[in-house]
Amino acid sequence: MEGNSYLPQLARVVDIHEEVPGERAIKTFRLEFIDGDGFSHKCGQCAMLSIFGRGESMISIASSPLVHGYKQFSIMRAGRVTSAFHELAVGALVGIRGPFGNSFPVNDWHGKHLVFIGGGCGLAPIWPVIQTAVTKREDFGDITVFYGGRSPRDIMYRSELEKLRGAAEVYLSVDSPEDGWEEFCGFVPANLMEKEPSPEDAIAITCGPPAMIKFVIKNLHALGFQDEQIYTTVENKMKCGIGKCGRCNLGKDYVCTKGPVYSWADLKELPQEY
Amino acid sequence: MERILDKGRLGALVAALADWTVLAPALQDGLWAYRPVAGGEASLTLGHPNTVQPPKGQSFPQREVFFTFDETPDGQPRLTPLVPRPAPRVVFGVRPCDGQGLTHLDQVFGEEAPDAYYQARRGTLAYVGLACNSPPSRHCFCTCVGGSPFGEAGLDVLMIDLSDRYLVRALTPVGEALMTAGQGVLTEAGAQDRAEAQQRRLAALAHPQRAVAAPQAVPERLKAGFGSALWERLAQPCIGCGICTFLCPTCHCFDINDEVASQSPVCGSRVRTWDSCQFPDFTMHTSGHNPRPDLGARLRQRVSHKFQYYFENHGVFQCTGCGRCITACPVGIDIVTVVNQVAAEAAAMQPADS
Amino acid sequence: MIDPEELRTRARDLLEGGQVRAVIGYRRGTRGWAAEPVVITRSEEAQDLVWDPSCVHNLALYLVQDRRRRGVLRGPPDRPIGILAKGCDARAIVVLMQENYVQRDEVYIIGLSCESSGMLDERKLAGAAEGIDPQDLEAVDFEGDAFVLSSRHQQWRLPAAGVMAERCLECRNPCPKVHDTLLGKEPREQERRGQALTPAMSDPFAELQRFEQTADSVEARWDFWSRQFDRCIRCFACRSVCPMCYCEECMVDSISFVVTPDTTAQEKANRLRWIERSASRSDNIGYHLTRALHLAGRCIDCGECERVCPVRIPLRLLNTKMERESRERFGYEPGASVEVAALLSSFRDDDPNDFIR
Repeated sequence: MEGNSYLPQLARVVDIHEEVPGERAIKTFRLEFIDGDGFSHKCGQCAMLSIFGRGESMISIASSPLVHGYKQFSIMRAGRVTSAFHELAVGALVGIRGPFGNSFPVNDWHGKHLVFIGGGCGLAPIWPVIQTAVTKREDFGDITVFYGGRSPRDIMYRSELEKLRGAAEVYLSVDSPEDGWEEFCGFVPANLMEKEPSPEDAIAITCGPPAMIKFVIKNLHALGFQDEQIYTTVENKMKCGIGKCGRCNLGKDYVCTKGPVYSWADLKELPQEY
Repeated sequence: MERILDKGRLGALVAALADWTVLAPALQDGLWAYRPVAGGEASLTLGHPNTVQPPKGQSFPQREVFFTFDETPDGQPRLTPLVPRPAPRVVFGVRPCDGQGLTHLDQVFGEEAPDAYYQARRGTLAYVGLACNSPPSRHCFCTCVGGSPFGEAGLDVLMIDLSDRYLVRALTPVGEALMTAGQGVLTEAGAQDRAEAQQRRLAALAHPQRAVAAPQAVPERLKAGFGSALWERLAQPCIGCGICTFLCPTCHCFDINDEVASQSPVCGSRVRTWDSCQFPDFTMHTSGHNPRPDLGARLRQRVSHKFQYYFENHGVFQCTGCGRCITACPVGIDIVTVVNQVAAEAAAMQPADS
Repeated sequence: MIDPEELRTRARDLLEGGQVRAVIGYRRGTRGWAAEPVVITRSEEAQDLVWDPSCVHNLALYLVQDRRRRGVLRGPPDRPIGILAKGCDARAIVVLMQENYVQRDEVYIIGLSCESSGMLDERKLAGAAEGIDPQDLEAVDFEGDAFVLSSRHQQWRLPAAGVMAERCLECRNPCPKVHDTLLGKEPREQERRGQALTPAMSDPFAELQRFEQTADSVEARWDFWSRQFDRCIRCFACRSVCPMCYCEECMVDSISFVVTPDTTAQEKANRLRWIERSASRSDNIGYHLTRALHLAGRCIDCGECERVCPVRIPLRLLNTKMERESRERFGYEPGASVEVAALLSSFRDDDPNDFIR
């Protein structure tokens, strides 16, 4: 059926990487469309992933748009569909439809310093931007990445973060340290205040648990960042992805089409129903 | 094209529409509902107040199977899309408010990403409206939300009741086709018929209705009143059921689920069903966090969607004033009162000069 | 008949004296002549309270809502909440107390006796008498064994029995047995039955019997119920309006289960969806029969589920059937006494079945 937005394409799981163990486990899945190239996407967009018989879940696309041939998704085990993903083996076929939503205005940020602030699985939605910025390193000023988890075991993309060093300043943190942890101990917003990134010509991009985002924004303001310099992504329950099923809206905007990326200047004007 | 239909020949008109399945309001088990009618039914009349449910289910059924899934012999998923291919249908007796409602559904399911299932059903549907000489319900308020008892939006044909006959007016090419098919039953309309129809129209417009006050100011005032404590107070009697949304001609929210017939091999269907913003799980995240956690927030969503958000996006209200949500609410929550109270409070709190 | 002014005074005194933190009652709605439920917290709001034949709602539902809200606030009630209770409402409150959902000292019951009358059935009113258009009505009132209906220009006096809700005609106790204060009189048994008003009133299962006589075979009943359930639009109004449907998790609706920060992904993933959301015959039947069984020995026949159903499914027939079973087999009457153990949480030594002993 031509133009049927609800019909998923099939994609094969070609790689599974365990990022974080435990109750809130995170695994990264690499998916290849079985029919041609599938769709292209922009930084910050999402896709609806299916396991037939279980249902669908909206997940941000964690790979850079500059990468062709596959798409990556980092999925935390949380409910019916995501748990089923965690049971999958390489070779399984899943459904995928998208891409959905707007994107980070990366092209408007050329020449600017980028400050990324992520927590928990909130690194995944901003990871394509980090990858794009590092790949096109000369287009941007300084790149700084703050990222934290509960414990060292909860740090996702560990080896990829290490590879960023050199191209970017990387500041990791954990809430509860273990032996051998040599970086910051404490919450992400506190790490941010300690390193004091300058708001001069800078854009801050943050994603993580709602409580973290709240304090990050507060601290960014304290550091002199204006609302227009702060970007974040919103997640709400979604079913259709195309602005029809009616549940993800913040006021007049459906997050699945007008979001998930918002500047704080825009987001603070909308009903805070997320 | 305007013609005259003798009331007694309505059944004959239906019989003449051999290429269409005809649905008309019928009273069954105490309910007015659209049901298929056979041609030639002499008793066929359009004496209904309004149907309990609007005609939206014709293009947006409560249950729609998107596709079925099963497994290939080597255990891989296989999808079979189900495209609805309904035969041409014509729905008689649609009130203008419900015609207006169809234009909103067309908007929502058209827009940037057309809904293939809705479009497939809508493409073979025609709507024959029946003008309201007097309000069918005491809760009617179409005129203050951009509608009219003689409104033509969303309809292919409008019928106007002139006591012993109808003036039948084609509004679209589909409507012309219907009337051409029925030309053996229809007669020429004269100046007298047109004059009478115009009189009825003026009388209908003069009929008092309930009203949303200062409708043009409502979107701004609801926006200002977002944080009002009134939402919680007005929602106090709310029982949190889905009647108001399920009977609404414009509510279009839905859920998508996999219905599993067998686990091994996996086979089943992916199904869309109506959903309601009044249900607690509508917005609940997997984590249990709920952005609209209480009845007040959910009443605000229902009312603001119709009177603010949709207006901000499309410049019209997503409420057609049919009054069903008022009539059927188990505890008397009344959208006109809700809008008026919140808007009045917001207006009172605004500085006088703005 | 109860003077509404007496009711207002009682509520005002209770609020002013600080004996209750709120009063659940009825006030005039904006939708025509029908009253609507209200929770008042200030004594000056007592003047809004009304008592007339449109006070159909079972207010026990709002005790359930109050408890839910307190659950969110995590505060124990400092004072009882006042509630107006007809005979049926009071029976529902008793069941909530039997099941320990609310405690006796958390509630101050202002009993309202319907005496020899009952509530108006809006649907019966349509076409009940020549010349009355329910659309025009502005008010309804009790007057002995009649209802007085008023439009802006006219008044009608209608024998109440003709337009009274079926469940009122079959009422078990028009006067609440459990209360802290009572308005109106306990109708004497012979008075109630003696009045030609309600031949049905002597038989609490009259409508059920009529149904069983009409649909007297398994096939006829299957046809009947299939047709009824096919209409269901799964708006869940019957469940939402029922004071007995207070479960935090409902088996027909597994996605609305309680999720706390401690709920594991495994638990969420493994929730069974017993009944699909689709309004199909089998899922609708699954929903309604499950609900009926869960109400066995608990339903006190307030009839609210049937009243609110937008597609007129005669749900009372299911519930009174279960009620009659519990009465005939176990001599149990739901909502009769707080002291009696609930039917499904008790057993008798002489139970005919072994498994229960």
